[in-house]
Amino acid sequence: MESAKKEDEKLQMFFDGELAPEEEAAVRRSLESSPGGSAQLRDWEQLRDAMQSVSADWAADIDSNALFARIEADISAPVIPIDRPVRKPALRTVPGGRERRVWGAAATGFAAAAAIFLAVIAWPESSPNGGDRAVARGSEVLEVDFGPNTGTIFEVEGGAGQSLAVVWIDDEEVGLP
Amino acid sequence: MSLIRHSLLIAVLFGASTASAQGSNLVRSDRAATPSNVPAEVLVVLAKEEPGEIDPQLKKLTALRRPPFNSFRSMKILSRPKLTLTAGKDALVSLPNGRRVKLTLLRVMPDGRYKVKAAINRPDKSDYLPLLQVVASAGDPFFVAGQTYQGGTLVVGVIVDPKKTAQ
Repeated sequence: MESAKKEDEKLQMFFDGELAPEEEAAVRRSLESSPGGSAQLRDWEQLRDAMQSVSADWAADIDSNALFARIEADISAPVIPIDRPVRKPALRTVPGGRERRVWGAAATGFAAAAAIFLAVIAWPESSPNGGDRAVARGSEVLEVDFGPNTGTIFEVEGGAGQSLAVVWIDDEEVGLP
Repeated sequence: MSLIRHSLLIAVLFGASTASAQGSNLVRSDRAATPSNVPAEVLVVLAKEEPGEIDPQLKKLTALRRPPFNSFRSMKILSRPKLTLTAGKDALVSLPNGRRVKLTLLRVMPDGRYKVKAAINRPDKSDYLPLLQVVASAGDPFFVAGQTYQGGTLVVGVIVDPKKTAQ
């Protein structure tokens, strides 16, 4: 895996002309030793020739000396401030006293909103019927140990519809001590 | 700018005072939720399947006419002791069969109901009901039934804070 990667890098360097002459000769011999390598070598050479040709054409079209002279002239030119009318911010058009009132109203609104928020957060809960809090009704068993006996837990409806707990334990009659 | 600061200060002070009021409400409700003493009533009823009289005092307790109690045709109140439950302290009520009901107020639940521990046994024994923990709202009973006695069945009802009865 590593050798394949190095081989690719070596071929890339060969294509870019970055190998030492002896290495370049070795790669070339290796490529020319097989039909596939020879074909690849030809393709690369054609591609390199085409790129060099295009690059030479572009270089001929550009007057690099004139381009750099223009860049240097622009850099060294003095900065001239642009005399442009400055638009005042919209708030600055409000007269001073009114501006203060606007800010005051905004601050008061913010304060009122914060106060309402805090009041809602901190207000004690109340039940819909005005009581201090909703109170659960009825009774229920949380835990029971029947001991040596057997037992059953019932729920009986109370007069107000609430559920009432009944623990029924089977028992032999116990005489008076 | 000072107006903004002034308004913000008012808002903060208002919020702080409201939160403080809420805090004091919580403190008050916590204090109210952990009363040191709560009245209670234990209803000891002898129920029999033989036709007979239903004690008039039990007519308000409609739960005693529903299953599993509906097989009883007669009900007689044997005792109706009133006691005070103190948090963490046992209260004892003697039953006619020699056993004792031991009641302990454990705490008041956030929903206002009372958490109560009960046990029914002969002294120094654990022969019947070693442990029962219930939550009950004020005035709403819970029942322990099944002990046989004099040819009938004992029905023991426990009502915490009976002044708020709503059976």
